[in-house]
Amino acid sequence: MTVSLVSLAVGCIAGYLGQRSRMCTIGGLRDFVLVRDTGLLKGVAAMLITAWVAFGAIRLISGSSVGHGLIAAGTTPSGWTAVAALLAGGLLLGFITTLSGACPLRQHVLAGQGRIGAWSFLAGFYLAAVVYTSWISPHIASWVL
Amino acid sequence: MTAGTATRRGGADGDLRDRMLRLPRSPIFYGIVVALSAAIAGEWLGVSPPAAYGICSACHGRDLADWILDHTEATKLFVSPAGASWPLLTVVGVVIGSLAASTRNREFRAIDLGGNLRQFALGAGVMCAALFVGGCPTRLIIRTGYGDLSGLTALGGVATGVVLATLTTRRVARR
Repeated sequence: MTVSLVSLAVGCIAGYLGQRSRMCTIGGLRDFVLVRDTGLLKGVAAMLITAWVAFGAIRLISGSSVGHGLIAAGTTPSGWTAVAALLAGGLLLGFITTLSGACPLRQHVLAGQGRIGAWSFLAGFYLAAVVYTSWISPHIASWVL
Repeated sequence: MTAGTATRRGGADGDLRDRMLRLPRSPIFYGIVVALSAAIAGEWLGVSPPAAYGICSACHGRDLADWILDHTEATKLFVSPAGASWPLLTVVGVVIGSLAASTRNREFRAIDLGGNLRQFALGAGVMCAALFVGGCPTRLIIRTGYGDLSGLTALGGVATGVVLATLTTRRVARR
């Protein structure tokens, strides 16, 4: 119950601000490469730094620790195969996302403001979610662990 | 900053008020607010495990789609522990929030740019790749902030992919 309400509220905040600021996590790098515009890249940097500070502050307040200092335990890739799989998967993700024009969160925002192409994107997105968990994930999900 | 530049009314108060009103238009403000709410929702308000799960469009979308199928068709698809009993509604919230923002500022318009079949295929590809590395780019950033080395590795891959795709598109467009 709480989880649903909390996630709905977080989503509404992100959607409202995302529509106003036109923020896109891949758009920052794309704009920088194309026209040397750093506006969105600053947003990405702010998000990264804030997440780092916020998680550190939460650990200090609640007195918990997750591993060796700043690095969370159990998140280190197990070997070079995992690193290669993560890099290749990330490369594919970045490449396809840039071709589609916006990061997934931004596509949801565009869908909310009436872009038809974003709704087509979301249709493929959720169809692939079910297809991936049913048939693809059992074969390849262990590569990145 | 031409379309939204507010006219200065003079005086320190008016200046401050204008600046506050323009704050939602800043990507930096978006980054700070989203990362803060994701950290708080993930650590204190129960959107976990897995760790650093406060906001993600791919994982939360997968959880919602699989949850609906599990509860209507009695399938046994994977749902993360955070969204197993009650569904995660982040993706619905994003669409609602964006709809509210765009109608409030008269920016809501149905635009068809074409290429819908291509967007459909790209959407499917994005979801598979995102679920493989464990999150959409937004969550990869949050995970990296949490101290997740896998997230950092995947984020490096994403950055390389974005640069490669941008350069490829530019080369194709110039030819």
